[in-house]
Amino acid sequence: MSLLSPIFSLLAQTGRTDGGFWFPESASTVAPDVDFAFDFITWISIFFFVLIVGVMLWFMFKYRRRGHVPSMESPTHNTPLEITWTAIPMILVVLIFYIGLKGYVNITTPPENAYEIEAVGQQWFWSFNYPNGATDINILHVPVGRPVKINLRANDVIHSLWIPAFRVKMDAVPGRRTELWFEATREGEFALYCAEYCGTQHSQMVGKVIVYNQFEFEAKIDELANWLDKVPDENLHRAGVILYNRCTSCHTVDGSPLIGPSFQETHKLFKSGGTRKLADGSAVTVNEDYLRNSIRKPSDQIAANAQGAAYPSSMTPNIADQLGTRGVEAMIQMIMRLDELVDDDGKLIEVKMADIVVEAEEPQ
Amino acid sequence: MTTIDTTKPTPGAETPPVDNYLTHSSGIMSWLGTLDHKRIGVMYLVSILTAFFLGGMFAMLVRLELMFPGEQILSQDQYNMAFTLHGVIMVFLVIIPSVPASLGNFVLPIMLGAKDVAFPRLNLFSYYLWVTGAVLAVSTVFFGGVDTGWTLYVPYSTTGTEMNGILLLTFAVFVLGFSSIFTGINFIVTIHRLRPPGMTWFRMPLFLWAIYATGILQVMATPVIGITVALLAVERLFGIGIFDPALGGDPVLFQHFFWFYSHPAVYIMILPGMGIISELISVHSHKHIFGYKFIAFSSVAIAIFSFIVWGHHMFLSGQSPLMNVVFSAITFSVAIPSAVKVFNWLATLYKGSISFNTPMLYALSFLVLFTISGLTGLHLGTLATDIHLHDTYFVVAHFHYTMMGGALIAMIGGIHHWWPKITGRMYSEFLGRTACGLIFVGFNLTFFTQFMLGSKGMPRRYHDYDGPNWTPEATELFGTYHFWSSIGSFVMAAGFFLIAFYLLHSLFRGKKAPANPWGGRSLEWQCASPPPHDNFSEPPHVGDPYDFTVLEWDEQEQGYHWRHDLKHEPGEA
Repeated sequence: MSLLSPIFSLLAQTGRTDGGFWFPESASTVAPDVDFAFDFITWISIFFFVLIVGVMLWFMFKYRRRGHVPSMESPTHNTPLEITWTAIPMILVVLIFYIGLKGYVNITTPPENAYEIEAVGQQWFWSFNYPNGATDINILHVPVGRPVKINLRANDVIHSLWIPAFRVKMDAVPGRRTELWFEATREGEFALYCAEYCGTQHSQMVGKVIVYNQFEFEAKIDELANWLDKVPDENLHRAGVILYNRCTSCHTVDGSPLIGPSFQETHKLFKSGGTRKLADGSAVTVNEDYLRNSIRKPSDQIAANAQGAAYPSSMTPNIADQLGTRGVEAMIQMIMRLDELVDDDGKLIEVKMADIVVEAEEPQ
Repeated sequence: MTTIDTTKPTPGAETPPVDNYLTHSSGIMSWLGTLDHKRIGVMYLVSILTAFFLGGMFAMLVRLELMFPGEQILSQDQYNMAFTLHGVIMVFLVIIPSVPASLGNFVLPIMLGAKDVAFPRLNLFSYYLWVTGAVLAVSTVFFGGVDTGWTLYVPYSTTGTEMNGILLLTFAVFVLGFSSIFTGINFIVTIHRLRPPGMTWFRMPLFLWAIYATGILQVMATPVIGITVALLAVERLFGIGIFDPALGGDPVLFQHFFWFYSHPAVYIMILPGMGIISELISVHSHKHIFGYKFIAFSSVAIAIFSFIVWGHHMFLSGQSPLMNVVFSAITFSVAIPSAVKVFNWLATLYKGSISFNTPMLYALSFLVLFTISGLTGLHLGTLATDIHLHDTYFVVAHFHYTMMGGALIAMIGGIHHWWPKITGRMYSEFLGRTACGLIFVGFNLTFFTQFMLGSKGMPRRYHDYDGPNWTPEATELFGTYHFWSSIGSFVMAAGFFLIAFYLLHSLFRGKKAPANPWGGRSLEWQCASPPPHDNFSEPPHVGDPYDFTVLEWDEQEQGYHWRHDLKHEPGEA
């Protein structure tokens, strides 16, 4: 293939990173192989398309009907011709299969020394967990120039992790473990999607990959692993605003109910010391313990919606594990002090990690 | 050669008999309870076109929603239900039954020289099963709706969504499956048992070969989808773990079962279309089909191969890489017989007398669109590229080129080809060609843009391409393609409404159709238009179905009839 590739790279975008006519930008080691295979097939396709449609148009013109004369005599079959046009496509598809196979072996064989990250798909966000305990939602942080292996899991239904710029995709299937790997070739931000239909908000299960150099990458996951510990208690409610991106699919802060009750409603009940109606008909006082229990055991006390029916109890059961002990406390603080966290229009204020983290004194 | 009768003139050349299948009896019950394959075919045609209209409306809702970024006319849930119902209706109610049940029912016994299908009562029963299934499937909108996509993947369909709709839909699919099986059995037996003397296997028009191969697929593959949806219902109703991992099942098992049916189903959809194209190209260029046996056997080869390629829908499902490699290899083997058919059709045009009647324009459109669908299938069958293209708009574009550009365009061509025979009326050629042009342009605008949309990075089944997590660049890029795709769908819709208009108009104002307006040689062109109740008032001339030299044009009749100087059966050309 190496003999042919210069020819094709002249004709097509192989070797380019902006993606050209067909592709998004490319940023992984396997992307050029995939693009080459695609271009190779595309040029074969264009050749046959032009051939078939060209011959068809030529015949349509040359042998158009002129009055009611019968058609000319010509053979009704020709075995050598028919064997030829069976054999040529057969040879070509064997070649295409071989190219596809070679690329596939690369794409599905992670190197031994790959850095491992766990990706968990749930309705409707991705969570990414790092070996050092760091975790983030919908944003995948990876180093440049180092193979990364993603171990995929799904918590509820099937999802599929797709990073177009890397040309990789794999399903996350409940009850199974699947994996994909890539090596990013340059720093930058690239889109990331859920590609397997997973329900109502499938089209918002979208995130991004951020590729760093090795030094920045380590600093980033270090920060992600430890930042909550560095947030002093008086800032913890503001940390909740950063963690809130895990909750947006189901809980608003403006009072409108989605799949779960709005945090605003919960906050008001907390402030007024009010009680919340539950789906089983009972009521519970909205206090700190109730909030903590609702995060730790989502299906324990299911709230009733405005019609008195149960909200679907589909909150990820392991949300507390994902948040960590301090993360759960941050969310409780956020709900309890929501009035301090919204602007005049009722929108959440913006909180930056750097503003709330207090770096410990350098040890002497 | 054996023949039934060699001395009588062509029946169609006489004064048409007063009595035909439409006037044979009257009253609504004479239709609803009819055992006449022609009337059942017409009822199927009307019903399937109604379903097509409904499925098309859901498609328009989807295209309107996606025309601009942001929420337009449908909420997320409504959108998910709209594309699900579009898929369910188009696949299960329209394309799977379309050609065999409607045109096949009408044409097959006549082409064969038979009075009716082998089991007329079973035929009527399968029609009512279709109606039952259709009503059940569409009524899901009143029971919470279904938002799983037509693929019904678990565990979303067993745990993630409303239960009533799913159960109703699985039952509908189960019932529709039986309708399909019964049609298949009926046609297989008819072709085996009801061929009159002289009608040998290799004197059958290729349309019959295609319907025969389809029948085998219907009978062998459809029970699997029936069992699958039954298992799905059992799991949902009784909590018995089959597919749900929480109960010890495996979601990938469902995909295996589902595609073990649904891949052969792709060929249940396209094979009859290929059969129609073989007739259209040959008849409308008055040219003997090239490589009859290659085409006939490639239908059977496709039918057999189609059973062992289902895994190519599951390259990313977590099945073993080795299986993926094997399935990819076998998938390419299916490409060969399809390519052979295209080359044979091209060679048929060579030295022909090519007319540009509406049916022929559809056949030529089919050649272009089917070529694109086949070639882009290579991108998807190739492992390395499928990983990127899987579950994107590239796939959506590819299968619309196959299902719509292939199966449906062929069916519309077939409707135009046999319309004079079915109704006894001619439609406006000018409007026919105009509509075909609109559909061809609109179709390519709608779906070719989706190839780029997919390869550029747009996943399928997305309600929107804007929102907090989307970059403005992606929203803008996808927005451009989606906009033009929607414009194309409006052009296509205009074409379909035009067809509806002039076909209905022709029923009342159309010129009376001659027995043989196109110069077809197969037997249905030897009986009157519309055919008499018993199909043939005189035994037809059986012979080579593609030997057009025995026909000549009659200016007065505006149609073709048997050459006057030929007193005897010409035998094989």
